[in-house]
Amino acid sequence: MKKDKTYLFLLSLVYVGFVIVFCFFPRSTFSELEKRELTSFPAFTAESLANGSFTTGVNHWFSDTEPFRDFFMKTNLQQKKLIAWTFPRGDEEEVVFHATNDGAAAAEGTNAPTDLGELTADDKAKIANNGIIIVGSGDKVRALMAYGGGPNGGVSYAEAANAYHNALGSAVRVYCMVIPTAAAFYCPEKAKTKTRDQEATIRNIHNHLEPGVVAVNAFSALKTHAAENIYLRTDHHWAPLGAFYAAQEFCRMAGVPFKPLSAYQQKVVHRFVGSMYGYSQDLSIKEHPEDFVYYVPQGLNYQVWFTDYEINKNYEVVAEKKPYKGRFFQHYPDGHGGAYCTFMGGDTRIVKVVTGTNSSRRVLILKDSFGNAIPGYLFYSFGEVHVVDFRYFTHNMKQYVQQNGITDILFAHNIFNAYSPHVGKRYVKYLKQANGTFAPRTDKKTAADSLHKEHKTKPAEEHKAKTPEEQKPAEEKKEQEKPEENPNS
Amino acid sequence: MVFSDLFFLFVFLPSFFLIYIAAWGVDKMRAQKLTSSECVSRTTWRNAALIVFSLLFYAWGEPIYVFLMLGSVAVNYVAGLLIDRSHRHRRLALAAGLCCNVAILGTFKYADFIASSLSAIGVPVPAPHIALPIGISFYTFQSISYLIDVYRRQAPVQKKFGGLLLYISMFPQLIAGPIVRYDLVAREINDRHVTAADLREGVFRFLIGLGKKVILANQFSEIAGQFLDGPMKELSTTGAWLGILAFTFQIFFDFSGYSDMAIGLGRCLGFHFAENFRHPYCCRSITEFWRRWHISLGSFFRDYVYIPMGGNRRHQALNILAVWFLTGLWHGASWNFVLWGLYFGIIVTLEKYTLLRVADRVPRVLLHLYSLLLVVVGWGIFYFEDFSRMGEFFSVFTGHGAPFHDFTVESAFFSNFWLWVTAVVFSMPVYDTITRLAGKWCPASCIGFLALTVRLLLSIALLALSVSLLVGATNNAFIYTRF
Repeated sequence: MKKDKTYLFLLSLVYVGFVIVFCFFPRSTFSELEKRELTSFPAFTAESLANGSFTTGVNHWFSDTEPFRDFFMKTNLQQKKLIAWTFPRGDEEEVVFHATNDGAAAAEGTNAPTDLGELTADDKAKIANNGIIIVGSGDKVRALMAYGGGPNGGVSYAEAANAYHNALGSAVRVYCMVIPTAAAFYCPEKAKTKTRDQEATIRNIHNHLEPGVVAVNAFSALKTHAAENIYLRTDHHWAPLGAFYAAQEFCRMAGVPFKPLSAYQQKVVHRFVGSMYGYSQDLSIKEHPEDFVYYVPQGLNYQVWFTDYEINKNYEVVAEKKPYKGRFFQHYPDGHGGAYCTFMGGDTRIVKVVTGTNSSRRVLILKDSFGNAIPGYLFYSFGEVHVVDFRYFTHNMKQYVQQNGITDILFAHNIFNAYSPHVGKRYVKYLKQANGTFAPRTDKKTAADSLHKEHKTKPAEEHKAKTPEEQKPAEEKKEQEKPEENPNS
Repeated sequence: MVFSDLFFLFVFLPSFFLIYIAAWGVDKMRAQKLTSSECVSRTTWRNAALIVFSLLFYAWGEPIYVFLMLGSVAVNYVAGLLIDRSHRHRRLALAAGLCCNVAILGTFKYADFIASSLSAIGVPVPAPHIALPIGISFYTFQSISYLIDVYRRQAPVQKKFGGLLLYISMFPQLIAGPIVRYDLVAREINDRHVTAADLREGVFRFLIGLGKKVILANQFSEIAGQFLDGPMKELSTTGAWLGILAFTFQIFFDFSGYSDMAIGLGRCLGFHFAENFRHPYCCRSITEFWRRWHISLGSFFRDYVYIPMGGNRRHQALNILAVWFLTGLWHGASWNFVLWGLYFGIIVTLEKYTLLRVADRVPRVLLHLYSLLLVVVGWGIFYFEDFSRMGEFFSVFTGHGAPFHDFTVESAFFSNFWLWVTAVVFSMPVYDTITRLAGKWCPASCIGFLALTVRLLLSIALLALSVSLLVGATNNAFIYTRF
């Protein structure tokens, strides 16, 4: 009897402690780990009460914003790691890459498969949260986002490029680039069934381009350099070095000069852990950070103008701010998870760079966050570089192109967005929309959302075509607030 | 709202306990004023608190259907009174009450199913698209149990509406059972006592259940989903086995975890619900499996369907068929559940004439393997509501037209290795064994202290582990609340 009371008393203390923490401590609002803003308290209406969404929302809010969320999440991940049985596997095979043998690698006289074969990554592969494939171990661990698109998709991306070509006439050359994700190059043979062939989709997109539109084969350009650090291991983006090779290929197709890497100043953000940690919730990613290396052009007196968009909770543009002069490169401190926002500090703006290079050519880059890494390499090649994100644009594109004297337009998107019909359609809409088109928009969802939706209707692909892209805006909004001043740029 | 939800654990439950303890105090004061001759409920305030919180609990998930439940209780209340009072028309009152219950269940659970089944055989009926109210299968069965127990005079009629409402709506067992029989708790509604030992057992039981759900079932549901929800053409044979084994553990720990939490909460309030699971995966035949799995449902069908239909006295085959058809159908408005019920019905019938007669001479290990294999295959039928996917699954499962193995299977096995080990261990009566061994080997003087320490540490660990796993959990719904 006495022992029962002791048990009850001690356990009650622990329980009451939990209750106090969960109910009375300040609630979390942002998760560093998951790189997203947490749920807000649901709006109360008679309707939301009746259909149960209010009460469900309260429960969701309560567990989403609980105090010390990241601490609990981290404990949670450590527990999940403890339940694994790790044992040394002696015969580590080399990763067998399934890059195909054709393409630019062969054309340029290098034997790509041999090059790739020299890479000694081990064959370990496992599936983590959200279908993320974790490859390798130790310093070589790499998180891959599985690609679920089929070989016949992406047509509307090509159609958007065609539409721009037809609408803008021969004065403007249109280029179409599809940026593959890391899974295209680093997926071991074993895990091949979990992700689809990206080159097939890219080929299909290129095949749908009209003769006047120039295909920029980033896939081949990247494949040649797969042994270098062209993709971030811990983030869903490519590395700035990958963007360099893609930009090189673009400049080759555009017939403009292009400077080698030696012309740039190399900068490093050490101990970078990107979005894939929160997304895969795999501790091995967290435990093996990487260097985020980027390249800043030197010896140019370039000027950068930003036109910021104010966006609402649904990431819709509600206002356009006045253009102001700013820095193109925002340097982040070591260990900062938002280092990819180095370029222009994110997506919610139009950027115009007067490069200081004497050239009559002016390029407009239509891009997603992958494309952000490209413009920095074009300052030596074009007189002006303009950057527009596919999610945020309120002008009439035709007028914008004419008013700014654009001569070249580059579509640069990762394959997930290139695959989504909504991205292409949105670009076609930009051609027609009036200046000053603000929210409320009819198409609320971002491309990543619609990619989800699209794959919902195709159960065969549903579980694979997820992308952390949809989490990006929150991440960037947060990161933008605290970049370190960079005296060199 | 479900039990394994942070809001429930840290807002609802503490608020409820505070109010309940206050109500208890009022009841105590009232009891002191009463003389022993006055026959008045000694639990009025506690019951009121329990009812209010139960309705809140239900309305939290079903803000509209809470009125359906209240209506259902009202109907059963009147039917119960009629059965009790009228001597000539008791049978009629019972029949009317039962019809109402079956009609409610038929409308809200099976209308769409009936419509689509009729349409499939060429009788076009538009589907009414009624959303399933949570827990309707459980509370309707409890209502039926009430009416029949009153009719059979196994339990006194509940003269207070509040008393019946309490029995039906009591939140510990409201949405996912166990199906509490009225005769079992009738007395405790108006008179119940809680000792420190009850509280200790109840709290510990609740935490064990929470751990089963959050630590085991939730992780297994991820593994099962990874293999069973994807495209079948990408599934390998070993993947199919691992996936369905994961589901085998998921459904057991999910459902028995819920029952543990319900029994534990009930115990803390002074109610003694019957056990719902007795280590079903330790069975040596399918017949035994069903004596250990969801016992409250099995005994419900035995006492209220099988025996009234004639049991083994007349047309036994028909009775068995009916019971298993209903058992299957109770689990969901889909033909795969019916198939699942009949699958077990046939096996149980066959066992009666074959296995059970020779079981003593067969090595135990073979009996275990045989039973587990059939149970696992059963979960394959249970999992897939879509028959074409079920077909594809079983063809992969049996090694037809699929790769034998792929790396994701190792990945899912080794990255969750200790989870699998824990699941296997806790599918066996490990708690009983340890208690027994401790009793044998430890001196009586230290056993009390040892038990206290172990129990306390285990309880805190379970609570802390579950809470940290619940933060950020996405797949947390109990499977059985949808039945």
